[in-house]
Amino acid sequence: MSRWRLSRRAFLGGAGAAIALPFLEAMLPTRALADAAEVPRRFLAFYVPNGIHMPAWTPNEAGRDFGLTPILEPLANVRDHINVISGLANRPARPDGAGDHAAGTSSFLTAAHAFKTEGANISVGVSMDQIAAAAVGGATRFPSLQLGIEGGGNAGGCDSGYSCAYSRNISWASESTPLPKIVSPQLAFDRLFQGFDAQASAAERAKRKRYRTSVLDYARADAQRLKTRLGQTDRRKLDEYMTGVRELEVQVQQAEDGPSCGVPDRPEADFDFPAHVEMMNELMVLAFQCDLTRIITFMLGNAGSGRSYGFLGVPGAHHEISHHQNNPDNFARLQTIDTWEVAQLAYLLERMANTPEGEGSMLDNTLVFFSSEIEDGNSHSHFNLPIVLAGGGGGVIETGRHLVYEEDEPIANLFVSILQNLNVPATSFGDSTGPLAGL
Amino acid sequence: MTDPDDPGVTDPGRVTIHRLNRVEYNNTVRDLLGTALSPADDFPADDIGHGFDNNADVLSLSPLQLELYERAAEVLIEDTLAIPRAAPDVLQFEAEEMTASVGASYRDQGWNLWSNGTLETIFTADDGEYRLSARAFGHQAGDEPAQMAINLDGRVLAVIDVEATEGAPAVYSVEAEVEAGEHVFSVEFINDFYLPEEDADRNLIVDWMRIEGPLNLPPADTTRRDRVLTCAPEAGAEEVCARAVVQGFARRAWRRPVTDAEVDQLMPLFQLGMEESADFEEAIRLPLQAVLLSPNFVFRVELDPDPNAESAHALSDHELATRLSYFMWSSMPDDELMTLADEGRLNTDEELRRQVSRMLADPRSRALVENFAGQWLYTRAMEDVQPDYNVFPEFDDELREAMRLETELFFEEFLYTDRSVEEMLTARFSYINDRLARHYGMDARPGDGFERVELTGPRHGLLGQGSVLTVTSYPTRTSPVKRGKWILTQLLCTEPEAPPPGVEGLAEPEMPTGTLRERLEQHRADPICASCHDSMDPLGFGLENFDAVGAYRLQDIHGFDIDASGELPDGSSFTDASGMASIIAEDPNFARCVTWQMYTYALGRGIEGVDTLHLRAIRAAFEDGDHTLHALIEAIVLSPSFRMRRGETPDEQPAPTEEGP
Repeated sequence: MSRWRLSRRAFLGGAGAAIALPFLEAMLPTRALADAAEVPRRFLAFYVPNGIHMPAWTPNEAGRDFGLTPILEPLANVRDHINVISGLANRPARPDGAGDHAAGTSSFLTAAHAFKTEGANISVGVSMDQIAAAAVGGATRFPSLQLGIEGGGNAGGCDSGYSCAYSRNISWASESTPLPKIVSPQLAFDRLFQGFDAQASAAERAKRKRYRTSVLDYARADAQRLKTRLGQTDRRKLDEYMTGVRELEVQVQQAEDGPSCGVPDRPEADFDFPAHVEMMNELMVLAFQCDLTRIITFMLGNAGSGRSYGFLGVPGAHHEISHHQNNPDNFARLQTIDTWEVAQLAYLLERMANTPEGEGSMLDNTLVFFSSEIEDGNSHSHFNLPIVLAGGGGGVIETGRHLVYEEDEPIANLFVSILQNLNVPATSFGDSTGPLAGL
Repeated sequence: MTDPDDPGVTDPGRVTIHRLNRVEYNNTVRDLLGTALSPADDFPADDIGHGFDNNADVLSLSPLQLELYERAAEVLIEDTLAIPRAAPDVLQFEAEEMTASVGASYRDQGWNLWSNGTLETIFTADDGEYRLSARAFGHQAGDEPAQMAINLDGRVLAVIDVEATEGAPAVYSVEAEVEAGEHVFSVEFINDFYLPEEDADRNLIVDWMRIEGPLNLPPADTTRRDRVLTCAPEAGAEEVCARAVVQGFARRAWRRPVTDAEVDQLMPLFQLGMEESADFEEAIRLPLQAVLLSPNFVFRVELDPDPNAESAHALSDHELATRLSYFMWSSMPDDELMTLADEGRLNTDEELRRQVSRMLADPRSRALVENFAGQWLYTRAMEDVQPDYNVFPEFDDELREAMRLETELFFEEFLYTDRSVEEMLTARFSYINDRLARHYGMDARPGDGFERVELTGPRHGLLGQGSVLTVTSYPTRTSPVKRGKWILTQLLCTEPEAPPPGVEGLAEPEMPTGTLRERLEQHRADPICASCHDSMDPLGFGLENFDAVGAYRLQDIHGFDIDASGELPDGSSFTDASGMASIIAEDPNFARCVTWQMYTYALGRGIEGVDTLHLRAIRAAFEDGDHTLHALIEAIVLSPSFRMRRGETPDEQPAPTEEGP
């Protein structure tokens, strides 16, 4: 099993602090984050599939004095940095007929209703992370990052007549354009550090930038020429191509202005599932620390994932177990899986909490939204979703509470609040009725 | 067949501009560049539409994909133009330049190790065999010659008697396998001897040390590079050669002739490279990368005289060659197809028949096994299935691979011989290796490899194969519903309606009081459930003698006897899997469904109302051809919907309607 941690070499943390210090200096971004006024606010969405076993999730008490339930127990070290939120609903996520996993996943950050199709006319809505990326993404090399663990199946459809696009993506640039995620840690790493060739001179970097820009100019002109000769459906495909060229041009402009932080070792290619998740967690912390992006979405699995958790001693497949039929054995299995999932979140939050930034930590300046596409795997409910909102959002959001909403308030209200925290002037989103009161 | 020069007779339907999917991209750069790289492995997963990942409508192009195209173009051109090393590297150092633990330089003849000690250097190696040498001589004294150890990374490779003497040094060598990376090469004097009273002093004097390797390199193969760089640039007139290179490469990459104007648009990239570097090798990379990034490469472009008109017209010969090669090879056209297209000789029934036969005989047609059968019969899903290891400890990657291969080899027999597809369900043969034979409980014991064996047991055709039985099961148990649904959708193309909202799967009680069949029959008592489950469940129960990893059994995991009999909604009945397989084989829906599946894959679009006539003709030809896959492929290729296309009226709403069962 591979165990790759940036922390060992690149970051300050734990027992290795003294040794790691010289590396830490190398990691510090050159674009100064030291000035507290410039510390950016960030957002990260952490998606887990198949719902959560709610009886072992929801704290009994509301308010500040809530106790950690078995599934939330891994968050003990960061308890004061999180809010557990109960009672929010995602009504647009309800599917047409079967397909709760796909419909719930596509509305996970869009709070929009997916059009049921396996064909050309997919449509849901712009996701809130992309609203944020459009507003604040220009400050960083990547307006946003999409990361995940599962690519896609090799045969067969995804969920009950819904396109696989709905099952595999939570970020949507437009209502018909999902943003696919990177699942390879090596690729994610290469992408973050592409162009950071420490050996190259400034002149070489500038030359490379001219080369890339010129080739992209050609590609754009070529696409434009071709587009004029096509019918409307095909022109839309060329539009997708040209959008990609435009975004890459922006990235090239920013990429080779010089490295923005030191380059740690490339992750190894050989890993199992837990190591894979850990690498992705590390890369997310790295991307924030180097200020390569301020918006990240992460999928621990695809909608209705059938992953086997044999390494936790759990037989069967996650999706199958989540149809628990009120069987106590299945409850125990789900609790084991869900607790492990929360432990992955806890790892990420602790890494962020241990990363100093300005007067506080990275976690203080970030909002991390954790939830699933449904509440419970048996009922497939889209009400009372399991939610943790971690981090202080720049010290603005009071943490350490269990917030309980009685009236099935739209989760879109929480998204409005998050967008406002990111200084996006949003007043409504999806089926929202306003910002989330009491946050 | 319809005369392709007589448009307006029939509507060929419309295929959206087709982005290469991951498999097609990898195969295309393999055939275009001869590369072993497969950059598309890192591309985002392709969406699936109508059962296949080559559906042009759902193959979208994200900014990430574009970014990875740019990266792939750079890496691929670098890989193609790199000059392979023809001779080993030779590094030679004067001993005086080395790190010495003892001694001093000696009369311009080298370094004198005057007592036991080392001379060492660090070098960077590739994988391979290296020769490590030192030229040395001894100041001999005592009863043995000076001895020199040659060490690699502190390990002694050889101990050498240095019998050479001053004035006549000799070269001593040793060869060793070395792994890529940094290494320490040292020579060591190990038998110092000094008796001053007898004026006897043994020393080792080293002149130089040499590292050669990797040895035994294959002759430099520049075939791949030469295929792209088809000329040698003349100083001062580099652009002449560059134009020829760009034109030739773009023609192959874009699968069609390239106009002078198009080359003109690429040449400024070469000029920029020359201005920046004055280096042809560096400059030529830019237009070549641009060719691979161009939409003309990453899309299969087909043009209409009027893209806003719905009148049908024949594809250009190059467009037709491209449709053919991506259908049959999941890759670009080869030289023969390109030549036929250049000469306008491809689009006749006779030539297309000849090409179908030729292309099937080419190994690239295995793409039909991996990509068509892989998705039609779900053999690709074998990569993803996770049978529970507590319940099925015998299931491992070897068995996983064997199951996949069995079905692939089985399908190949239908693809490459004149066997009728009905036999897919009733066949009394299969391809088995030792691992599968044990798993299936067969007496036959093939060796490690796969052998075609005659079946005598309960397994008949596809539905007796481990792959199909496993991919339609849950990790811990069989699912008659999933198996029944799979038969209906994949083999009969009669997809059941999705269950109504709120409907749950089957409870798994801790202590079952009846068989799975008895429990499932309870919910079929509900007429809403029965409307679909009456057709699905009996098919699935017919396979209950095979467990969730395809092993034969007479009792289920709870010890209940299995009843594999059933009755289908049309009244036909069977007692076991073989009887059921015969019923499906004779069902006209099966041959129809194979036709639909292959047609959907061939065109890369879903079936629409306009296809009714085309499909009728194809099915007739399929039947006349005794239901061989060869006949089916040929009939599809000859169909107007494959050879023709049309534009679309702007704002046309897509309204797909499937041919009724």
